[in-house]
This record gives sequence, structure tokens and C-alpha cells, in this order.
Amino acid sequence: MGKQIGLLQGTLDMLILKAVSLGPLHGYGVLLRIQQISKDRLEIQQGSLYPALYRLEHQGWIASEWGESENKRKAKYYRLTAAGKRRFQTETEKWNRMAEVIAGILHTTPEEV
Amino acid sequence: MRLWNRLRSWLQATFGRARMESDMDAEIRFHMETFAEDLVRNGVSREEATRRARMEFGGIDRAKEECREARGVRFLETLAQDIRFGLRILRKSPGFTAAAILTLALGIGPNTAIFTVINAVLLRPLPYANPQELVTWRSNESQMDIDDIRSQGTFFSGGGGVNPELLTYTNGPEPLGIHAGYVDAGLFQVLGVPPMLGRTLSPEDDSFGGPRVVVLTYRFWREYRDSDPNIIGKSIGLDENQYTVIGVMPASFAVPKNDVDLFVSLRVAYPEAARYRGVHFMSSYWRLKPGVTLSQAAAGMTAIDARLAADYPAEEKGRHTVPVPLQQSVTGDVRPALWVLSAAVCVVLLIACANFASLLMARTAARHREMVIRVALGGGRRRLIRQALTESMLLAVLGGCVALPLAALCVRLLVAAKPAALAHFSEISLDPAVIAFGFAVSLLTGLIFGLAPAWNASRADVSEALKQAGRSATASPAGHNFRRTLVVVEIALALVLLVATGLLIESFARLRSVDPGFDPARVVAIGVQLPNTRYHEIPKQIEFRRELLGRLNSLPGAQAAMVGDPPLNGGGLTHSIVFEGRPPVAEGDEPDVDTFCVMGDYFGVMHIALRAGRTLTAMDRENQPLVAVINEALARKFFSGRDPIGRRIRWARETGGPHWMSIVGVVADVKQYSLAEPTDPAVFTPFAQTDENWRRWMSVVVRMPDSSASLIRAVKQQIWSLDSQIPLNRVQSMDELLGLSLAERQFNMSLLGLFAALAMILVAVGIYGVIAYSVSQRTHEIGIRMAVGARRVDVLRLVVGQGVRMAAVGLTVGILGGFGLTRLMTKLLFGVAPTDPFTFATVVLLMMAVVLLASWIPARRAMRVNPIIALRYE
Repeated sequence: MGKQIGLLQGTLDMLILKAVSLGPLHGYGVLLRIQQISKDRLEIQQGSLYPALYRLEHQGWIASEWGESENKRKAKYYRLTAAGKRRFQTETEKWNRMAEVIAGILHTTPEEV
Repeated sequence: MRLWNRLRSWLQATFGRARMESDMDAEIRFHMETFAEDLVRNGVSREEATRRARMEFGGIDRAKEECREARGVRFLETLAQDIRFGLRILRKSPGFTAAAILTLALGIGPNTAIFTVINAVLLRPLPYANPQELVTWRSNESQMDIDDIRSQGTFFSGGGGVNPELLTYTNGPEPLGIHAGYVDAGLFQVLGVPPMLGRTLSPEDDSFGGPRVVVLTYRFWREYRDSDPNIIGKSIGLDENQYTVIGVMPASFAVPKNDVDLFVSLRVAYPEAARYRGVHFMSSYWRLKPGVTLSQAAAGMTAIDARLAADYPAEEKGRHTVPVPLQQSVTGDVRPALWVLSAAVCVVLLIACANFASLLMARTAARHREMVIRVALGGGRRRLIRQALTESMLLAVLGGCVALPLAALCVRLLVAAKPAALAHFSEISLDPAVIAFGFAVSLLTGLIFGLAPAWNASRADVSEALKQAGRSATASPAGHNFRRTLVVVEIALALVLLVATGLLIESFARLRSVDPGFDPARVVAIGVQLPNTRYHEIPKQIEFRRELLGRLNSLPGAQAAMVGDPPLNGGGLTHSIVFEGRPPVAEGDEPDVDTFCVMGDYFGVMHIALRAGRTLTAMDRENQPLVAVINEALARKFFSGRDPIGRRIRWARETGGPHWMSIVGVVADVKQYSLAEPTDPAVFTPFAQTDENWRRWMSVVVRMPDSSASLIRAVKQQIWSLDSQIPLNRVQSMDELLGLSLAERQFNMSLLGLFAALAMILVAVGIYGVIAYSVSQRTHEIGIRMAVGARRVDVLRLVVGQGVRMAAVGLTVGILGGFGLTRLMTKLLFGVAPTDPFTFATVVLLMMAVVLLASWIPARRAMRVNPIIALRYE
């Protein structure tokens, strides 16, 4: 396990959308899924996960309903809504463009300026 | 869609609060327990797993709080919490709270009251159908003109006229003079108000020789006919005739500019007048066809004027018709005064708001430490601003609650003292629109003037404050500068208002010192109208007048005479005249002069000075040479320098004749219509020599030895002993008439004076507040100064100098602003320039005195500072 890095501001929402886009998950499942995809390289404040989920649900990008978990307990499952899917797409595009631009800037050598 | 989603989510969260809480608990518990189970599965002890789960999750309550916030439920709760907290804080400092609420109430209350009047007079549409289509003009029309314009004016969909005439209502216990509106059927049609009972005049009713029918106003129906629901078809007596009631108008209906009790057809009640083109006595009202503009109507009327003048040069040459919107015409007289008054209350409101903001700033400074502590404990900036704003809004709403009863009181006073120009607007009262206005003003005030202090409050700098450690936290200099700026603005505004008031007072004083041309002391004027049926013939009229004057003059101490229209009662009559021996003037172009018939020693009774020749005597009677007395204005205008005595004049377009009248005397000018206007040329002739039998109205003027009511009773008895069926109206002393002619100006002046006084008090409080605060902040510094040898007078200079500097800037700005703004009130002034240096100087001195007083009080406290205590005071 390498060194964990903190989350950039505003990226948690995107990660949650990505996580639930692969199938409905409960809150703890979202945490596990993100850790799994990121291969444990990201540090996520568990406590900050729920406000983010509530915010996304409030905005209508994810929806929730109660279901039964793997360990046979009642759990609240979140899934992506159609609006959420569109939102996720535009956010991904925006992120990619941004990353490209930033990377381009950071890789610039003195000769290129 | 998204909005709906959020709203639903918010509603669920807010109203399904318990459910949301339990869901949230369950979800988080599930998270932590599953996490712990996973750890146990990886070989961690259960106890250790639970501990780590709790630790890694972080603050559970904070997470929950953020969840609630994410769903928006926090909003209402925070608000309730803020309000509770705000109320508690306000209760803890009753002095500040009372000052703030009172300041706002004093600003908002009068404002709401004046807005009530403006709303009723200028904004509320007139109570007619589509009132924006209605127009009228200043000049009057004869019935024949109205008929012509109706047939030629293709841009009007209708029109009608009205003229109030005094008739005797004979069904009451004593003969009663009532105002009958002589109308044509077009009037009801053009105003478009349906009757409450029955019907209005039809074209068949309104024809020569038509049936004698009458339409009552609501007021007459209620007061004289006891709101009889079966009134239709009953008959009432007017003069010597019986009229059948065909309709009653609703309470909201009034003729635009006249006070009328009932309506009869002019063609039926007074056919001679309806056939007479030359006497323009009816006010007329017209409705523009849809799509026709005012300028199109004006152009159309110019064409009609020209046609009428060509067809009837003798009667219609002087036409110059300018249609104006009815609303503007009705409110024209009060409009300038109302705008000035509303500007004045706005100034008062602004000053009150500035004081309010200043109070909040001072308080912010005083609560600096509280803010620092709250920021240090993690209070968010937005949260702090919101709390501060909630407090100022609370104050504003409370201020509004106090302001509304105050406004209601002001409206009552305004209406009670209402000048004649407002008399027409019966329904001036606080209505929902006005109450909404008051509260909107309060809330806006709280928001706008609370924002700056709130902003300031939220800028509490923790590290800076902590550096100052135990020292009394001083307000930011920026905050204090802001308050000083507010006071400077207040001084400037108050100065403008005071100057405006000063100008009105000066105008009023000059107007009061205008010589009316007669001596009003102990003179009473009693309006008498001779009924047409019994006094149609001139000899009968003369007989009655002569007999009455004889009897009145035999009353002990009384001196009586008669005049057609006494000065300043609003009446007057003009005729055109022709001078003997001058080149003939084209028909219709003869000069107009005021004309008065008199009997008895009118000039002697009224103490009107004789300038040349003689006055009229009892010998100037029927079958004697015709004579006339003119006033100085006429002599000046038409006999410039030459002696008018012995010259002859006659009425233009008289019937028969020529009837030349010799000028036998010149009398001093008398103010007939208003003290503010120059006197028009006037001709006085004896009643006994007139050949105009329609001059049936007159005023008996009596100068009495003392102002006792018994003599007035005696005069009335004499009139009724001659003819018990003669209605008397308007018994008024000349002093009263003089006062009435000034009433409106006095009203404006007193109101503006009241507002100016209010503004001055508020400014004084504002200055006092700023300086007192600065003294309290500088106690330490003053202590040091005194310790190193400053004398008390130095301290005095230090403190008062602060006030004087603010005043200097404020007064300069105010004087410049005043020069610009007082020009707008030229219409309300008399005999004084809007930039009158004397008024400006007086006001500046007054303001300086106020500033000195307001800064002297805190200065006295500063001088009493004991250096030893001040230096220890930390």
C-alpha cells in the first residue's frame, strides 16, 4: 500500500457518481468501491461521505431506497439517476480537459516557453 | 425538474424530520458496524474494531449536521434559532433596542402616512370606467358648445357637462340650500358608473320640456331621505317644483371636481340657460375613443375651436381648448405640494435609516469580542452575517410594527386638518397596499442598512483581536469613518429639508402681510340665493334687497351692504367691456374684467379705500344715469395716467343699448381670488341698475360692533321674516375666508415644519451618538492627554471640534444640494426666491447650534474624565 493522497476539493462527488454508476451501492459499499478502484491510494474521510451522498440525492443525481445487504441487514442503497448519468458525463469530460491542460502546463520545460 | 426534486427533498426532510433522523442513524450505524465486522474478520479484536470504526468515521454529529444542511432542513431551524437568539440579545439591551425601533418608527410612520395620501390622491385610479380615457379642460362650456363638440369631435366616444347650482330643498324642516348638478344625459354615459338604484338620465329625460326627474347621490339619499329603499318614483321638492326620483348613485360616485347633492337635466330645469351659447358655465368631461391619443384630441379640439369661432365670433372667439387627462386635472392643485412632502418624508426616512445603521455599527463595535470568540470557535462567516442581518431585520420589523399605528395616527391628523384640495378625496385611509408598503420599507431598511454593519461584524480578525489581548477591543477605524460619513449625509439632508421649510415659512409670512384691500375684522358674509320662480323679475329682486338692507341697517350697531361675490370666497364673474371714444375692437376681442353688483355702502362696510371720485350711493338707482366704480387695476391698465372719472364704458354684446355707464369713482384693489395673485381689473355697478335678471345670488356683508353670534341670528331672522323660503348658505366671517385662503399653505408649511423638526432631532441624536461613542472609545487617550497637561478647554475643543468638522462638510454639501433642489418648489413659494440667502443663513446657523449642542453633551463628559481612573481603566 503506497502513500495515500488527500482528495482534491470537489472530486468526492465525482467519485461517488462513478462508484454508483457501476451498480447500486450502500454508503459503506461506496467507500469500499472507491478504495477498491483507487487501489487504496486515496484517503477518504468516512464522515464526509454521507453529507456528499445527501447533497447528491438532494440535487437529484442519485436516488436511494432501503434494501437488504450481503450480511442480511437493512441498508440504504443509492443508484444513479438519468440526470446523474448526464451530470457524470459532463463532469468527466470537464475533468479530463482540466487534467490535460494542467498536465500540459506542468510538463512544460523552460525551452518551450 | 431539478428544482422540483430539491423542493420535494426539502419538504420531505423538513416535514418528515423524525423519519429522516432515524434513517440517518440507521445508515451510519450500519456503516460503522459493517466496517467493524470487516475488521474483526481480518483478525482485529471486537473492542479494537469498534474503536477504530468510530475513529475513522470521524465526528458523527458533525457528519449528521452536514447531512441535514445538505438537505436544507437547517434553514428554518437556523432561522428560528437566530430569531430566538436575536430577541434575547435585543431584550438584554433595551436602551439600544428602543432607540433603534423608535428611530425607524419615526422614519417609517410619517412616510407611510404620506404614502397613504399619495396613494389615495395620485396613484389610485379615479372611480370611473376606464378612467385613463377620460379628459377634461380648464375652460368651461355652454350646453350648446357641448352639443356641438359632441357632434363634431369624432375622436370622443362621449362627453357631458355639469354645473352646480344652488336650489332650495323644500321637504326638510327648514328651507335648505342644496347643490344641484345641472347636467346633460351625456355626463352619466361618459363617466360610465351604473346607478345603485333605478336608472340615470336618458336622452328622452334630457330634452326641452322633458319630465322633471332627479338622480340622487348616495349622500343625499342617506342624509335627507333616510336611505329609503323605495325612493324610486317618489317626488322631492326643489325650489317651487316637484321632481320624481329615478335613480340613486353609489357611494363611490362623485362628479370629478364639484360637490353635488343631486342631478337634474339643465334642459328641463333651466331651459333658458341651455339655449344660451355665450355663457360658458359647465365643466365638461370627455372620453377618448380607444386608440386616440391626447395630442390627437388636442389637434382635433383646435380645429373645432376655430370652426366655432368662425361660426359664432361674438361668443366663441376666445376659445383655446387644451384637453388634459382627468386624473391630472383633478389632482393638479395638490400635486406639487404632495411631491415636496413626500420628498421631505423620504429625507426623514433616510436620516432615520442612517441613524439606524449608525446605531448598529456602534453596537457591532461593542460586540467585537463576542464576534471574535464566535469566529475563533468556528462560526462561519456567512452564518455570522446571517445572524447580524436577522437582528437588524428583527429590529426593522419591530420598528414597522410601531410605525403602522403611528402612520394611522398621522393619517387621521392629516385628514382632520385636510386642506380644501384634499377634501374631494374622501377615502384616505390605510389599506393593504399601504400596510404592505410600510412593511416593505421596514424590511428593506433592515436589509440594506443592516448589511454594512453585518459585513463589518463578520470581519472580526481573530489573531488581531487576540494580539490586543486584554485591551478593550476598539472598533475598526473604517467602521467609525463610516458612521461619521453617515452623520455628514444626515446633516446635509436635514439642511435641505430645513431650508425648504424655511422658504415656506417665509412665503407664508409674506403672504400674510399682503394687504387684502379690505378690513376683515368683525365682518360676516352670508350667502343668499333668490329662488328663480318667485324672483324672476328684476324689480322684485331689487325690492327684496332694498327692504332687507333697510332692516339690517336698523339693527343696533350693524352696518350692512350687499355684493355679488365677496372677496376670497371662490366666486367671481367676468364680462367684456367697451370704452367710449376708442377705436372699435373686433367682436370677441374685447377685454375681460371682473364684474360685481353691489347695493348699500359696500366700500364703506368693507373699508375699501376710495382713491378718486365718489362711491355708489342710494341715489344710483333705477331710471337714474348709469354709473360704475372701477378699481385701481383697471385704471392702471386701461387709463394709464389719465383721469378715468367721467369716462364711459359699456358691456360688450349687451342686448338693446348702448347703455353707457359713467365712471364715478376709483377704489383700491381687493384680493378677490387669492392673496398670492395680483388683482384683476374690476367694475362695480349698482344692483338697482343691472338688467341681468340671473344675478339672483349675493352675499350680505355685515360689519358688527362685536363678533357675537346673536347678531348673526338676528340677520337670519330678518331675512326669513322677509321670505321664509330663502335658503341661506355659508355664513362666514371675512377673517375665516382669509384664513381659508391660506389654509392649504399653512397645512403644507406645518407638515413640512413637523418633518424638518423630526429630521433635526434625528440628526442631533445621530451626532450625539457618534461623538459620545468616540468619547467612550478615547477615554484612555483623553486621560493621557490630561495627565500630560491638557486643560479642560483643550478636551472640549478636541471633542466639539469633531462635531464641527462633520458639520462643516455636511452643511457645505447641504447648501449646494439646497441650491439645486429648492428650485423644484418654486410653485409653492410666494415673494421669496428659492435661493433666499437669509433663509439659507438662518438655517445654517440653526444647524450649527444643533451640532454644537449635540457635541457639547459628550464633551462635558470628556472634560470630567479623571486621568487617574482613565489610565487604570483597561
